[in-house]
Amino acid sequence: MDYTKSEMQADTIAHMIGPDQVVIVGTGLPLVGAIMAKKRVQPSCTLIVESGLMDFNPTEIPRSVSDLRSMAHCAEALPPYRYLGFQANELLKGSKRLIGFIGGAAVDPYGNVSATCIGDYYRPKVRFPGSGGANGIASFVNTIIIMPHEKRRFVSSMSYITSPGWIGESGRAGTGLPENRGPLAVVSDLGVMRFDEKTHRMYLAGYYSSGSPEEVQANTGFDIDVSRAAVLPEPDEDEIRFIQKIDPKRIYLLK
Amino acid sequence: MPKGKERDAILSGKLYKLSDAISKFVHSGDHIATGGFTTSRKPMAAMNEIIRQGQTDFIVEAGPAGSDWDMMIGAGRVKAYINCYTANPRFSNVSRRFRAAIEEGKLLFEDYSQDAAMMMFHGAALGLSCVPVRMMLGSGMEKEWGISAQQRRRIDKLPNEKFIIQDDPFHPGEKMLLLPTPRLDTAIIHVQMASPDGTCRIYGDPYQDVDLAIAARNTIVTCEELVSNEYIRREPDRNTIPGIAVSAVVHVPYGGHPSQVYGMYDYDKEFYLDYDQAGRTDESFQRFLQEWVYGTKDHEDYLNRLGVTRLTDLKVVPGIGYHISDEDVAEGETI
Repeated sequence: MDYTKSEMQADTIAHMIGPDQVVIVGTGLPLVGAIMAKKRVQPSCTLIVESGLMDFNPTEIPRSVSDLRSMAHCAEALPPYRYLGFQANELLKGSKRLIGFIGGAAVDPYGNVSATCIGDYYRPKVRFPGSGGANGIASFVNTIIIMPHEKRRFVSSMSYITSPGWIGESGRAGTGLPENRGPLAVVSDLGVMRFDEKTHRMYLAGYYSSGSPEEVQANTGFDIDVSRAAVLPEPDEDEIRFIQKIDPKRIYLLK
Repeated sequence: MPKGKERDAILSGKLYKLSDAISKFVHSGDHIATGGFTTSRKPMAAMNEIIRQGQTDFIVEAGPAGSDWDMMIGAGRVKAYINCYTANPRFSNVSRRFRAAIEEGKLLFEDYSQDAAMMMFHGAALGLSCVPVRMMLGSGMEKEWGISAQQRRRIDKLPNEKFIIQDDPFHPGEKMLLLPTPRLDTAIIHVQMASPDGTCRIYGDPYQDVDLAIAARNTIVTCEELVSNEYIRREPDRNTIPGIAVSAVVHVPYGGHPSQVYGMYDYDKEFYLDYDQAGRTDESFQRFLQEWVYGTKDHEDYLNRLGVTRLTDLKVVPGIGYHISDEDVAEGETI
């Protein structure tokens, strides 16, 4: 069947959400995947966003985390500090049901993400909006990073980290961040990357049948271990059709 | 009933015309924050009026900002900008005047995480000096200070340190990052309903607005609906800002345009797209300000320029919760 890479990516996102998981969604492609999960693949999940909207299930694709499309018919519209309190308390309780999706401009081999700037912080080549909720999510919650697979976005080092991942080879020790939280995976339009338990370094776990490990390496700005990579299953035709219906104007899905 | 100022005086000492509220409570150099969230419930009519009147040199706690503060940056009114996120998502994924000002080195700015900003507002509302958190650690926000300690000493409204990191005295081995809370001169929020004594009712997500209203020395409220003090007291459980925390109430229908207001109207997509295009250069942005801000006498003039049908076409459809076309209502098919 016909499907685009970003539709495949959204479908992969949907399938990464487990039963009863509480999902911090944000915007972008994860929103398409998360809506897909809530409505079709994993209805027991609960979607929340950093503006404080709890258990939303939109009937039209939202543009922002504060969109009326998420606010209408959600369970609670809490002030954002309540959302943060919930997030921090899940950590204190040792709960692992929370998972957060974050995006950004670039990711390094240890899953550190930049969403603030490219180049010098004070006189950047490109300036982005800033952290939003991403830094809090990355600090407290296990995350899945969503990134288009390009060399300039998979970079060997990061001068400004907006959302900390595993920091470096020795992990988060000494930073003050919880050491048992961090990025679980990166989902790109070429495949799924995971992090080695010992070295915390990114490796290719799975690639789409339309591509290859060589293509992943060619589009990655650092050496990436592809020895553990397996081909990912083809997407379900109904699911792809549903994904197209979730974002008919292709606000997030690429053309 | 008398009209104009006389009528206002009869109703309450807090009920103002927009221009009077802004001129009385917004001053150059103010430490200031606004309610709302990127493209939702932003006090845009009040921002337009500030730009018309000329107040400048603001120390801005921008929170989840959209074109409210992007406009103010583009109009050259910001002295120091405390950022956590500045975008009109999916219209301008980075607000363009904010971006240009930083890339060109023309804006004194600082970055916090959005959760940090929210905790700073909440801490301020609780009267706390600082709030200990565990975020921003290990990130660029810890390592880089947009506004150095030296620069901070020259701006008396900013704390001398961006934050302080110390060991958690109650949990040995854990670190905490102390966020200083802002001492705001002015907060401006836009709500669905208020009464002349300042009592406010917010429908939908309150965002940081209640905290700002409690924390700021002066809070200006613009409201979609002005109701009597008696009416708003019929359901006190729905009211979240006490009148005694409010300095001025202004009745401003569509005062959030082009942002969306829960239960009332949706964002004006065309307006946001035009705003995005206008923001590409300083020249085109100044033309936009000329057309929509300086070139309109007041908010009423602005609304008349938009036109009635443009506004009615933004109305939220009851039961749906946002705007959809009549055809879509008839079809009734959603995901």
